[in-house]
Amino acid sequence: MATKGPHNEDPNDKALNKGRREFLKHSSLLTALAVAPPHLVKAAESALDEKAAVYFEQVPLSLEVNGVHHKLSVEPRVTLLDLLREQLALPGTKKGCDHGQCGACTVHVNGRRVLSCMSLAVMQEGKKVTTIEGLANGDQLHPMQEAFIKHDGFQCGYCTPGQIMSGIACIREGHANSDEEVREYMSGNICRCGAYPNIVKAIADVKKGGHKL
Amino acid sequence: MKNIDAYTHVRGESIYLDDIPLIQGSLFGASFGSPVAHGVITNLDLRDAITHPGVVRIFTHKDIPGENQIGGIVPDEPLLAGHEVHFCGMPVAFVVADSMEAARAAVKKIKLTIDPLPVITDPREAQAQGELIIPPRTFQLGDTASSWSQCAHIFEGRADTNGQEHLYIETQGAYAVPQEHNAIKVYSSTQGPTAVQRAVSRVLGLPMHLVEVEVNRLGGGFGGKEDQANTWAALCALAAHHLKKPVKYSLHRMEDMAMTGKRHPYSADFKIGLNEALKIIAYEVTFYQNAGAAADLSPAVLERTLFHCTNSYYIPNVKATAYSCRTHLPPNTAFRGFGGPQGMFMIESAIAKAAEELGINAAIIQEKNLLQTGDEFPYGQKAQSEAPECWHKAKTLYDLDAMLQQVQAFNATNTLYKKGLACMPICFGISFTKTLMNQARSLVHVYMDGSVGITTGAVEMGQGVNTKIAQVAAQVFSIQPEKIKIHTTNTFKIANTSPSAASATADLNGKATMLACTAIADRLKKMAAEELGVDVRLVALQNEYVYVNGQRTDRDWKSLVMAGHIKRIGLSEHAHYATPEIYFDATKEKGHPFAYHVYGTAFVSITVDCIRGIYTVDAVKVVHDFGASMNIAVDMGQLEGGIVQGIGWMTMEEVVYDTNGKLRSNALSTYKVPDIYAVPKEIAVEFLQTPHENLAIFRSKAVGEPPLMYGIGAYFALRNAIRAYNENGHFPFAAPMTPERVLMALYPTQKKGITESHEETINHLAVDK
Repeated sequence: MATKGPHNEDPNDKALNKGRREFLKHSSLLTALAVAPPHLVKAAESALDEKAAVYFEQVPLSLEVNGVHHKLSVEPRVTLLDLLREQLALPGTKKGCDHGQCGACTVHVNGRRVLSCMSLAVMQEGKKVTTIEGLANGDQLHPMQEAFIKHDGFQCGYCTPGQIMSGIACIREGHANSDEEVREYMSGNICRCGAYPNIVKAIADVKKGGHKL
Repeated sequence: MKNIDAYTHVRGESIYLDDIPLIQGSLFGASFGSPVAHGVITNLDLRDAITHPGVVRIFTHKDIPGENQIGGIVPDEPLLAGHEVHFCGMPVAFVVADSMEAARAAVKKIKLTIDPLPVITDPREAQAQGELIIPPRTFQLGDTASSWSQCAHIFEGRADTNGQEHLYIETQGAYAVPQEHNAIKVYSSTQGPTAVQRAVSRVLGLPMHLVEVEVNRLGGGFGGKEDQANTWAALCALAAHHLKKPVKYSLHRMEDMAMTGKRHPYSADFKIGLNEALKIIAYEVTFYQNAGAAADLSPAVLERTLFHCTNSYYIPNVKATAYSCRTHLPPNTAFRGFGGPQGMFMIESAIAKAAEELGINAAIIQEKNLLQTGDEFPYGQKAQSEAPECWHKAKTLYDLDAMLQQVQAFNATNTLYKKGLACMPICFGISFTKTLMNQARSLVHVYMDGSVGITTGAVEMGQGVNTKIAQVAAQVFSIQPEKIKIHTTNTFKIANTSPSAASATADLNGKATMLACTAIADRLKKMAAEELGVDVRLVALQNEYVYVNGQRTDRDWKSLVMAGHIKRIGLSEHAHYATPEIYFDATKEKGHPFAYHVYGTAFVSITVDCIRGIYTVDAVKVVHDFGASMNIAVDMGQLEGGIVQGIGWMTMEEVVYDTNGKLRSNALSTYKVPDIYAVPKEIAVEFLQTPHENLAIFRSKAVGEPPLMYGIGAYFALRNAIRAYNENGHFPFAAPMTPERVLMALYPTQKKGITESHEETINHLAVDK
């Protein structure tokens, strides 16, 4: 007979949790944060103390997204991806694997490409985030967006925001001097439809155009 | 015409399931999948999970008001396991909570006690134990038994293909919203809205007219969302039905990979006989399909394996038998090609085996046996063949002889790098093999301002079907594409749809749209003719104007439509299309199941690094039978994408289950899909524009699946390269040919050669046995 159950809790653990919960209940948010942030983070990570999370796991965060300043309260465990999609209603950035393995969630932080599923929101304090929604100027598309349309750099479109954000960064980094180099520096973005040849063409085209990105 | 979604795609404004704005009070679901592949459930302990903060309710099979059944073809698949579990990841309980995090955390607190039962992962073992999904099927042409005596050469062997994870970048998901009058609306990431509607209707015990399924678009499907979207939709619907609140479940990548089926692995035994002139006289093949734990679409996939078991060759005597074998893996399902590629890999293996034994190039045998127009397929249909045209055009255009010489010259001068070249002709039948599924409907509204709204049964998943449908309407009405909007696919607008599959979606829904638009256009033309006092046969719609006898009139499209509305002309049409001429008699296994076939030939060349076992696909040069492509950009995308996916299946994508039926290749870190490097350095495509009438929309032949099979050439190119290094190397016909296997084939450690993994490893693995 096989018994399966991932969380066989240690009774000592439970007592500990109870203690922590009580402690947290009787502290104010700021006191709790000042006194015991590592415990809080740990509690959140292990998902053992959800009530604590509900009461106290909100950290102030101030950042700029697509040119708009936000003053927010976020749980420390929230990823930049979830912050964008769920709290800021910017669903253009996609969740493909949530493990940093597909590139669909690529955004720019202070101009550099970052996998938003692998970045905690709280780490972006004071930074400037650009998502796919922030590229165009009204109806005027960014040159990379234009190029993806011109070269059909997509099929289903799901990986496209990540590809475009990555493509822009690839040029900014000076890594688009040849098709070979584009391939190397775009290899972290998976396109299951296989639109790769057109993606390379689009990036090469923008590079050739010499736009300031 | 550009992809109609291009603008929203590049702005991140295209809406997929997970992007739908949530309704207040929405809850989130997560599925608890069985950790054991086969066993009897003795206890399901939900106590810890239910007290987890945020958890609203946990659903089990006991909560199902209708039937605990989602099997489409065979009713053998419970939505939620009750007494027994049949595969790792089989849903046992569905947790609903006020946040996704809470639902997933609670899933981890569920405790399941199971009395394990023996686990079968190998289809041959399942067949030996009589574990079959349906009775075996046999396609027969001529008489193989009496033909062997005419053969100068007879070869026998075995070939194996592995599965393939769909890895649509958008995972599976559903969002169910309760409606008034006990109805339910389900947003689903599905290729088969009607399949979802049926499954939900069955599970909830509701008539279909109370179940609305809506699909905006998919972030990739590839067959994986044809039937396997049903589970998540039915789970969300079940919860929403009970709780009277919206419930959403968008699967995590690892949940998706662990719980859903893949392309069917196949094992096969073949026997091929050729005469002195290298004409194939007889071919016998037995297929063992690894169906997984439930039928899903396996019987239909099995059928297509048989349909394509002779690829694009004419063989007068064929006996092909196929077993759909029940194992304890997640139910395997549709995947681009739908069993066809597996059937083709086996005949290509048989031809390669013959060529290797005879010491000749396989291309010689391939060329001598290409289907000619009028030749009979093993299922009775007569070919309207473009196979020789494609082959000969490719041979001349790309200079096959020169390519072969270059490979030889390279191999003669290089010791540590070797090149291999393989020819891969394809032939793929277009139509659902189930005749009844070859029907579609389109609903066209022309609004009084001249704009047009169209709803069909087609689901857009990147294949460009909506772009093609818009093209159809734009052409019939002769208006700008901007005036046309293709609406979401919705079962309340279009009923009884066939899934977007079988490469036939543009044909079926495009033709229905053409009928609907033509009916409206005819009514408007008739009105215009009366108005202008001319014969209706002289009236035409052109560039948004009414033309009479080739002369433009003052009547433009917009005013024509408004006049039609004022005169009470019907400006809407719901049209039905059913593919003519097709039929199939499964009792005789004969008929005319396909509207037409798509042909093509690819030359695939590969360079192998003989120190490391890694390789590069240098070129794939193709002549493809497009008929008359109606959208070259879309069709090229399908072709290039199909080739890359086919190469992935044959070379790097390795689905690994252990002997306990647990998926080991369970994330992108352990399952390698083609990245930007996997693309051949050169893809050359020549459009074979064929003059013959066909049943395709605007004579533009279906293009979704056929190109994937060019990828099979990558396996044989690799094989040739390896043999150039290690002339006496014998290694099994087994794909995928990962770099690891290439290395082992380059340096066999035993007399007969091996490509198996280390013995210690193999003991724990299911698929490499």
